[in-house]
Amino acid sequence: MNRRTFLHDIVLGLPSIALQQLYAGGKVQPHHTPKAKRVLQIFCPGGASHLDLWDYKPELHKRSGQPMPGAAEVSFQGRNGNLMASPWKFVPRGKSGKMLTEMLPHLGALADEMAFIHSMTSRSNTHGPACVMMNTGFVFEGFPSAGAWTSYALGSENENLPAYVAIPDVRGIPPSGPANWTAGFLPAEHQGIAFNSSEPIQNLKRPHSISEQQEQATRDFLSVINQSHIAKHPGDTELAARVASYSLAARMQLSAPEVSDLGKESKATHDLYGTNDANPLLAAYARNCLLARRLIERNVRYVQLYCASRASGVDGLLNWDAHKTLKADYERHCPILDRPTAGLIHDMKARGLLKDTLVLWTSEFGRMPTHQEGTLGRDHNPDAFTAWMLGAGVKGGTSYGATDDFGRKAVENVSNVHQFWATVLHLLGLDHEKLSFYNNGINRRLTDVHGEVIRDILS
Amino acid sequence: MLRILLLAVPLLCAGNDETLATALVQKHCLTCHNTTARMGGLVLDSREAALKGGKNGPALIPGNAAASPLVKLVREGKMPAGGPLLGADRDLLARWVNAGAPWSAKLTTNERKRTDLTWWSLQPLRQADPAATIDRYLIAAMAAKGLSPSPPADRRTLIRRVTFDLTGLPPTPEEFDAFLNDNSTTAYEHLVDRLLASPAYGERWGRHWMDVIRFGESHGYEQNHLRPNAWPFRDYVIRSFNEDKPYDRMILEHLAGDRIAPSDPNIEVGTGFLVAGPHDTVNNSNEAAKRQQRADDLDDMINATASAFLGLTVNCAKCHDHKFDPIQQADYYRMAALLNGARFADRELATADDKAKYKAAIAPLDRDIKEVAVHLDVIKKDAAPHLAEQREGIIANHRPAVNALFTEESFPTAEARFIRLRINATSTGGPAGLDEIEVWSGGSNIAVGAKAIATSTRKADDDTEAYSARHLTDGKFDQRWFAADARPVNIEIELPRQQAIQKVSWSRDRMGGFQGRFDGPIPEDYRLDLSLDGRDWKEVASSAGRIPARPDKLEQFLLLAVLNAQDRARYNKLRAQQTALQKRIAAVTKPPTAYIGRFEQPDTPIYLLKRGNVMDRGDIIAPASLTTLSQTLPAFTLDADAPEGERRLALARWIAHPKNPLTPRVMANRLWHYHFGHGIVDTPSDFGYNGGRPTHPELLDYLAERLIHYGWRLKPLHKEILMSAAYQQSSAFEETKARIDNDSRYLWRYPPRRLEAEAIRDAILATTGKLDRHMGGPGFHLFRYTVDNVATYYPLEKFAADTFRRSVYQTAARSVRSEMLGQYDCPDSSLPEPRRIITTTPLQALALLNNTFILDQAGYFAQRLEREAASPAVQVERAFQLAFGRPPEPNESAAALSLIRDHGLAAFCRALLNANEFVYVM
Repeated sequence: MNRRTFLHDIVLGLPSIALQQLYAGGKVQPHHTPKAKRVLQIFCPGGASHLDLWDYKPELHKRSGQPMPGAAEVSFQGRNGNLMASPWKFVPRGKSGKMLTEMLPHLGALADEMAFIHSMTSRSNTHGPACVMMNTGFVFEGFPSAGAWTSYALGSENENLPAYVAIPDVRGIPPSGPANWTAGFLPAEHQGIAFNSSEPIQNLKRPHSISEQQEQATRDFLSVINQSHIAKHPGDTELAARVASYSLAARMQLSAPEVSDLGKESKATHDLYGTNDANPLLAAYARNCLLARRLIERNVRYVQLYCASRASGVDGLLNWDAHKTLKADYERHCPILDRPTAGLIHDMKARGLLKDTLVLWTSEFGRMPTHQEGTLGRDHNPDAFTAWMLGAGVKGGTSYGATDDFGRKAVENVSNVHQFWATVLHLLGLDHEKLSFYNNGINRRLTDVHGEVIRDILS
Repeated sequence: MLRILLLAVPLLCAGNDETLATALVQKHCLTCHNTTARMGGLVLDSREAALKGGKNGPALIPGNAAASPLVKLVREGKMPAGGPLLGADRDLLARWVNAGAPWSAKLTTNERKRTDLTWWSLQPLRQADPAATIDRYLIAAMAAKGLSPSPPADRRTLIRRVTFDLTGLPPTPEEFDAFLNDNSTTAYEHLVDRLLASPAYGERWGRHWMDVIRFGESHGYEQNHLRPNAWPFRDYVIRSFNEDKPYDRMILEHLAGDRIAPSDPNIEVGTGFLVAGPHDTVNNSNEAAKRQQRADDLDDMINATASAFLGLTVNCAKCHDHKFDPIQQADYYRMAALLNGARFADRELATADDKAKYKAAIAPLDRDIKEVAVHLDVIKKDAAPHLAEQREGIIANHRPAVNALFTEESFPTAEARFIRLRINATSTGGPAGLDEIEVWSGGSNIAVGAKAIATSTRKADDDTEAYSARHLTDGKFDQRWFAADARPVNIEIELPRQQAIQKVSWSRDRMGGFQGRFDGPIPEDYRLDLSLDGRDWKEVASSAGRIPARPDKLEQFLLLAVLNAQDRARYNKLRAQQTALQKRIAAVTKPPTAYIGRFEQPDTPIYLLKRGNVMDRGDIIAPASLTTLSQTLPAFTLDADAPEGERRLALARWIAHPKNPLTPRVMANRLWHYHFGHGIVDTPSDFGYNGGRPTHPELLDYLAERLIHYGWRLKPLHKEILMSAAYQQSSAFEETKARIDNDSRYLWRYPPRRLEAEAIRDAILATTGKLDRHMGGPGFHLFRYTVDNVATYYPLEKFAADTFRRSVYQTAARSVRSEMLGQYDCPDSSLPEPRRIITTTPLQALALLNNTFILDQAGYFAQRLEREAASPAVQVERAFQLAFGRPPEPNESAAALSLIRDHGLAAFCRALLNANEFVYVM
């Protein structure tokens, strides 16, 4: 039915410009040959601890229980105690022998694919602004997210699906919510469309009360009155573009349920991700991982996948914010992240998707090497955290930058959110200094007025 | 690429190092360390200057990289301020310095200031030609481009255009008829007058203004809680537009309403402008972060003020002088000093009368309560020596107070299967919360894994188990049970089997992780019962005999213990009187408050922050006018400790000064922008170098002068614009003219455009007959609101009649785009949005086709048609009139009747609401 309506429009002679306006075509000619065509960003909100996952600090383990050298610090939640080793061992992974936590065995096995940036820094020590900083380059809300910039620059390669999809966790939305996938001041078509394997796109489905025949008849009548209006206003291509948007909507109604239908995946695939795991949170995240692969496979330009959610009344319960009980919290969070994410990466590799897809792992900041006074947890640390990339254009098995002996501060090749995005845009064929959009007095960029491409991690 | 190659082969000639290193200095250092900015007194444009150095001595010691501050700071990542250099570049600098820092060429900053005080928008308004009219200016500009205007629009198009434009609503069929049947020459003028007088005008143009000033009704950021009493400001804006309040007056009210009309709530409320933006409410212990939060608050106010009234991007001068416009970094901090008394908070909003009434009602009670306090103090003083003497003894004779870390009750061994903790009250009166309850039998906790239920439990919407009672017996102290509210609550634990029990213990923060911040509501008045069957209970322990936990309660407790019977009776009587008086005071209705900002004399002055860094304070900056307009307008400087209200008033008067060329230009341009879809300057809040240039500079000045001429009233200026031929002309497309000016910026035709989100939604409600025109008051929600530490907003799936008010009354939660409005480009009020981008997307189509709101409204539309017209043919006729303001064409009629016959009236109505004609104004 929808195809008919679409063809109907074409027969009626929609100017091609109308369709071009709608296909959310890229606004920017690539500045150089891209290595990556699309991006999968995995985000662990709450400040996932670099010290307990990725950044091995033998000195911290050795001197656990001793005071950290230097003046006592008051961080986000207050006073800090002595140095506290990670509750888990670090073990060598891959041919590179990269030391990673034993808590992430499946992801650890992919160490040779990953390029770690151990010297990330943020401008905020508070979840909301720091999440928004990581995703938009600014601590203030209202700026476009990296996915929106990518959509704006490169457009969509599958007009039946949104160019930019955000997949919030079943446990809820991340700190500052939709500001993490907003289009900000870019045109609204570039905002991330939020849905996951349990919550479909809003308004996607034809309402139950309306039969297929009625839907078709209604659309046919709509077409009659729209055409009569267009005939009275020749030359106004916006009108035809709006008619075309209805055809695209009809196609999205077919494509989007198809992409969310995980039933067509083999049992082996389901097992690889863990979609039937006894832990319902793991299974739910695994289904989101599988959804992410299906979106990437269908050429969705940018997928942002969340593992965990917001700050609740209990620190570290719904996300990686382990203020008080690091061990209990991460014993909950690590397994959820580990197998499904590793399954997703293996699957993408097997399907050849890593050749032109860039995979990012991010969080908004790291954590303190000390324990928070009176707790067995760690406070926020915006001065050091880890991010990694793998896939298209990335030199696997590398580590860039370093923190001090305890992981308190980034000290070697200190990097930041702007360098991170400058590098991502570079891999997408874009010069971060040229990709800009005028807003309130200035041509705004994802990298603000900063950023340098981190070339050491490029293949 | 070249650089990488060179670095890989360090033995290449040193000359390249010089080129590359000095290029790095130029790119990364010179912005701040040039001859104008001289940050830290240091200039880095030549070897000599670098050797001379700044406040901290020479920047370079040739041959000794390790001792050179430049290399050291770069290596430590402390410089450049714009972000650390890559490792390879750091190595390069070190190598170059070690090689003697050869540096032959003098560097010049490539970021030359683009404009100065001669910039067009900063110049005084030009005198207009006495014979000037809007159309004359437009036609002259068109002629120069080879363009000519279009013939007048037909009258149906015109009334629809101007009605949507001024009111955001479609004309009713009756209004169409009245206008079409009015053949007088003044018909259109009367129409314009009627619309400008309509209260819907303020709702429409007030909404435009709220875009410009980023008005939102939640705090934004992580917690994003609602501001339930921000709406009085919204009503004030609407009222101000409807009253045609002079704009210069409105500026004074926005910045200093409390000063110009203290205790006149209708005017004081104007200061809601200052705090209409986002504000981070998360508590932060870190000093730098605390300062940053305040700096961000000020930044929001500076940006809102400068962009809305002046069209200046002063916020671009926070870290350095403005790169494009003549705005000094100090100007930014001058403005911060002017606004430094404003805080994001509620403030009392009441008439002097109401305040006086409240004071009068409270005064006798206050007097009495003070008298009681005097008597109480006498008793306390008399008892003080006894108390000091006996304090330790009394405490020793009692059981210790309950505390957050650990509380236990022991009792003679008893058999039980059920344990019940009845919590009657907590130490602070807040809802109880516990991380664990342990039941001890012979030294071991037998409650782990036992079933625990509570008569009240707090719930988070997206995680219903978050505060479950099962955390009480999970053997871990990480997660907690919380009661839903402060009322008494019972916790019941059921053991797998009956056992002998000697002790029960519990805690709120066993690990002490909250460092005392979590000592709040600890169960203080409680009873502990045991039962064998869960029906017959026996009390085995209670809080009796414990000293109170809160210091104030403890003091009272001790006092009572040392008083003799007579004094104790007197004391208790006085306390009862005191409590009764407090209750009576609380019962007197307080004057209302609103989210309009609280003002207090700042305790911290404004420092110039070097590179915007809150931890790097420079000189104290006094509140003063911007140097940007120093050649056009009398400047002012106040004392650094001037009363904060004086500062805001001075700023407001300076902005609204009749000689300020920006204020009237910017406002006149906003009017033009909303009437024609684009401004004469197409960046309505940026009249600087990066903004657009005026297509019609003389016309803009003419309009600005007219605004002042009309006493800063907007309605006469609206009318002059609307009466122009340009506004009344047809929107018909002409290819030859479009080739010259596709967007019709020169107005050779009226530019057609899609309605804004609010107008679409309001037009739907108006068309279906469901629009509730009730003005003002608290807004309606298009979301379900839940708070669990942070706020979460769920879009509504069902829409009750209380949501059928005009969209301007929708509670505008920040960063929450309600699906209908958000899809159609309604801003989320995180940033000012002086110009909405209009997009066309498939998701808009889906929203308008499938959202419950539309389906409901299509149904109401059908009901209306059935009420108002008898046969399907007349219903179709009526529907076209209502939706499009015209009768249907024969083919449309036929298609409509066939759709109605097969699928009913609602299907037809759904289609009409989706039509292009419905959402476009031509």
